[in-house]
Amino acid sequence: MRYALQKFGQFAIVFFIVTFVVMVLMRLGLNAPGDPARTLLGGTADQALIDATTAKYRLDSNYFTQYFFWLKGMVTGDMGFSVPNSQPVSSLISGRVMTTLLLGFYAIVWGLIISVPFAVRQAYKRDSWFDKIGSGASFAFVSAPAIVLAPIVTLVLIKENTIGLPGPLSDYQITFGGWFPRVGDKVYPWQDLGEHFRNFFVPTLVLTLPIAAVFSRLLRGDMVMTLQADFVTLASAKGVSPRRVLWVHALRNSLFSLLTSVGLQIGGIVGGAIVAEQFFDLDGMGTMLVSAILSKDLFTVQSAAAILVASVVFVNLIVDLMYGVLDPRIRHARALA
Amino acid sequence: MSTQIQASARDIDGPLLELKDVTTHFKTPRGVVRAVDGVSFTLDRGKALGIVGESGSGKTILSRSIMGLLPPRGTIRGGSIKFEGREIGNLDRKAMRSVWGKEMAMIFQDPMTSLNPVMKIGRQIAEPLQIHLGMTKQNALATAERLLQDVRIPEAKRRLEQYPHEMSGGMRQRVMIAIALACGPTALFADEPTTALDVTVQAQILDLLGEQRRDRNMSLVLVTHDLGVVAGHTDEIAVMYGGKLVEKASTKGLFANMKMPYTEALLNSIPKLEDRSHTRLSAIAGRPPDLVNPPKGCRFAPRCPYAAEKCINEEPPLIATAEDPNHLYACWYPVGSEAYHEAKVRIAASKHATDALAAAGGN
Amino acid sequence: MTTTIDPSTTTPEPAAPATALPAPRGKQRKLKWPGFGLVSAVVFLGGLTLMAIFADYLSFIPYPDALIPGPDGRPGRYEWGPSWTAWFGTDGVSNDVFSKTIYGARTSLQVGVFATVFGIVVGGVLGVIAGYFRGWVDRVVMIITDCLLALPALLLAIILVNRLSDLAEDTSWLGWLSRKWTIVFTLGILATAPLARIVRAQTLSLREREFVLAARSLGAKPGRVMFREILPNLIPAILTVAFTGLSILIAAEGALAFLGLGVEVGTPTWGKLIDENRNKIDEFWWATIFPCMMLFLTVLSFNIIGDRLGRRFDIRQAGV
Repeated sequence: MRYALQKFGQFAIVFFIVTFVVMVLMRLGLNAPGDPARTLLGGTADQALIDATTAKYRLDSNYFTQYFFWLKGMVTGDMGFSVPNSQPVSSLISGRVMTTLLLGFYAIVWGLIISVPFAVRQAYKRDSWFDKIGSGASFAFVSAPAIVLAPIVTLVLIKENTIGLPGPLSDYQITFGGWFPRVGDKVYPWQDLGEHFRNFFVPTLVLTLPIAAVFSRLLRGDMVMTLQADFVTLASAKGVSPRRVLWVHALRNSLFSLLTSVGLQIGGIVGGAIVAEQFFDLDGMGTMLVSAILSKDLFTVQSAAAILVASVVFVNLIVDLMYGVLDPRIRHARALA
Repeated sequence: MSTQIQASARDIDGPLLELKDVTTHFKTPRGVVRAVDGVSFTLDRGKALGIVGESGSGKTILSRSIMGLLPPRGTIRGGSIKFEGREIGNLDRKAMRSVWGKEMAMIFQDPMTSLNPVMKIGRQIAEPLQIHLGMTKQNALATAERLLQDVRIPEAKRRLEQYPHEMSGGMRQRVMIAIALACGPTALFADEPTTALDVTVQAQILDLLGEQRRDRNMSLVLVTHDLGVVAGHTDEIAVMYGGKLVEKASTKGLFANMKMPYTEALLNSIPKLEDRSHTRLSAIAGRPPDLVNPPKGCRFAPRCPYAAEKCINEEPPLIATAEDPNHLYACWYPVGSEAYHEAKVRIAASKHATDALAAAGGN
Repeated sequence: MTTTIDPSTTTPEPAAPATALPAPRGKQRKLKWPGFGLVSAVVFLGGLTLMAIFADYLSFIPYPDALIPGPDGRPGRYEWGPSWTAWFGTDGVSNDVFSKTIYGARTSLQVGVFATVFGIVVGGVLGVIAGYFRGWVDRVVMIITDCLLALPALLLAIILVNRLSDLAEDTSWLGWLSRKWTIVFTLGILATAPLARIVRAQTLSLREREFVLAARSLGAKPGRVMFREILPNLIPAILTVAFTGLSILIAAEGALAFLGLGVEVGTPTWGKLIDENRNKIDEFWWATIFPCMMLFLTVLSFNIIGDRLGRRFDIRQAGV
């Protein structure tokens, strides 16, 4: 428990530093009095409005005061106003946040669901054809970021393709694709599950495949090591079935790299989500952030970045605590610390 | 498959284990490694057999071959292994599963790495009980507690809830013995069970093994590099070198009348009291033979101080001594023979000559 | 750290420790023979680099802004699919896609390599210092890397590139900071955190090794110990992470360009090509897919090299 609190404090510090740095970065070059407000309001605002905005958000004070004022706003739900979107930042974000969270959640969950069975079987049948093909495929997908996968998936699954067969089969054609909409509508699972699936499948796939590949490579590697351990041989020598040896004895001892990687990949998933949202015009936090950064929509950037950083930090905290759940030795060491 | 083995008639009167010309070869990029090369012996019920040899002599591979615990890929097995009269040498892992843990069990060398670090001790002992004897979890844990008491672990109930890292090496080895004993196997293979332990703990573990063997009328195969370990704890000793059986006798008979110069060398290399506890058998000069291209004649010849022309060219057969038909050895010029004494005199003379030369050079 | 069993370096097979069962086959062969994958990766990257460098002088690569006339003699939108006239077809402004991908490689490789070098220098120095001095220095460096890793990399990159370009426009003494160098600098910062971490971890273990202890007990100054004793031993790890990192940075550059934060207008990049042509992917797939494949193969090649180096030097990089 003490350990958990300590870790929580550590991650909280990281959160504050990062959000503060984002704020400072966004204000780089806006040094003259009134600059931040003028930027916020766009070019044509009159001086009175600029002064009023400056006063309202304390934009003339030092960075620390501004930061704490903004932080207070975050906590109380007043995240400021987004002029380009002509609505409060809080309502802007609440309309978008679910899309990105769902995408990230799906990517991790599906990544695990796909990778674990593959990796376990690959490790069990090491150097077999199954393993070789699996390793090759995961290596390829590790090297296929969202920006590469998105157009290919579009071509294969979204576009309706008709391919004529060569030679004697020329009377026949293969038709595939056209299964998913080009532009994703934001339909949430509680609205219409089928439509939700149709709309989110392709962006999720684009995020999931590289993640699953990273996971399965790490798990396979650890699993191969574990399977050479004495206690695995002992488990076999006790008459335990191979299935149980793999899934009960070996798997739990092989999850550490995978777990670490979940924490490290979450930032990458957010990056992938930004690209996927942009490519499939699925308006979530990613598209919103990109346009907010380009239009210097200060409060939107700060608040949205804060939410993403908080999610990354939160997942990492969970990962860190999971080590102890998985391994009694770590639990033991932490209890002593 | 597994039910078939159980149902098949058991040979209750014959020997427990009967090996005929057992070979285990591994395919490697360098060529075929002849790790075990034609080993035959029998082991009676309730007896303890020590298999002794240096590392690389094939003793561990032999014990794993008997249990069928080797990875199937790249392993070529040959010969016949009969357990309670039924052939198990050709069974695959799936078929062996009903034998493992139930009728044959194994204790590994390193208790630090042989227990699952993330599973409670109780569950690890209960596992074979649930699998083989169909016990409920509760019954299995109760039995596990009794087993822990049997292997002299204090506060057995509390220990069930502990993880391996909370125990000392000796304790863990006792836990491993408890796991092995769980289903009451008729044969127990202990692969260097004491090598990784402190000297004081070694004796306790060996005594415990002997005591459990007698109580349960179980056969014990004790694999070790240390003749000292097997001396007090076995009925018979088999000495292996280069994948071959080179001498086999009752423990008494072997120490009274050893025939192989290799056995003699092993005996001479037993760590003395003043040595460090883990001193290895480095006392024998030279290296174990390359098992991809083993020597043509006697495999020990290149390292044998008494080797003659014949030893290098012709392989000695495994024959019985004149006095005892159960004492087998494979040597052209065994310890005590005329040639052996001649060689000994020759060696002493040449040593004397070198000493004299060195002394002369010193002046 | 892993310990792979390599039968070629140990004594005759089971003559080794009693527990060493037949070592994995196949693994060894890969070590001896570079393998099809590695050879293709090196050939592909070598060819791409050479073409990118000498593109101006190679007759089969038109200038990226040259208009390619269609079959009727006049340039138009997407006149050619893949053909002898234009190997990768032409795009929406009638330029040769092959030429644009080669010139795009110029940008990607330059940006990737310079950013990696930046990351190695900064991350390496931070990592060595943190691992060597430990204590509060280490804690500060770890907080910096934690923070860098907590902000999603692409998000940080977008903010930095956007803010730094504005800054460079408005500030007279930053006039030299072109868009390309802004991206290099940004991606370099992204590469710093993982490099600093792995270098720190390696330094921590190295500083306890005998030869380092010996040097220190002989009175060598910290600077000398770090550069003469520790640094040479870090090269395998750095090299491995650098190649893997290079692949990630090139992908990131593509993503940035795709999001409209690429290098100067007029310089073709893969990300920009994908962005410009993606809405026409149904009819004119080549203008999107070829840059895509080029990006993929480049990333893949760097990954293959990084992977082989990692195996060779026995370095694991859990999710760097």
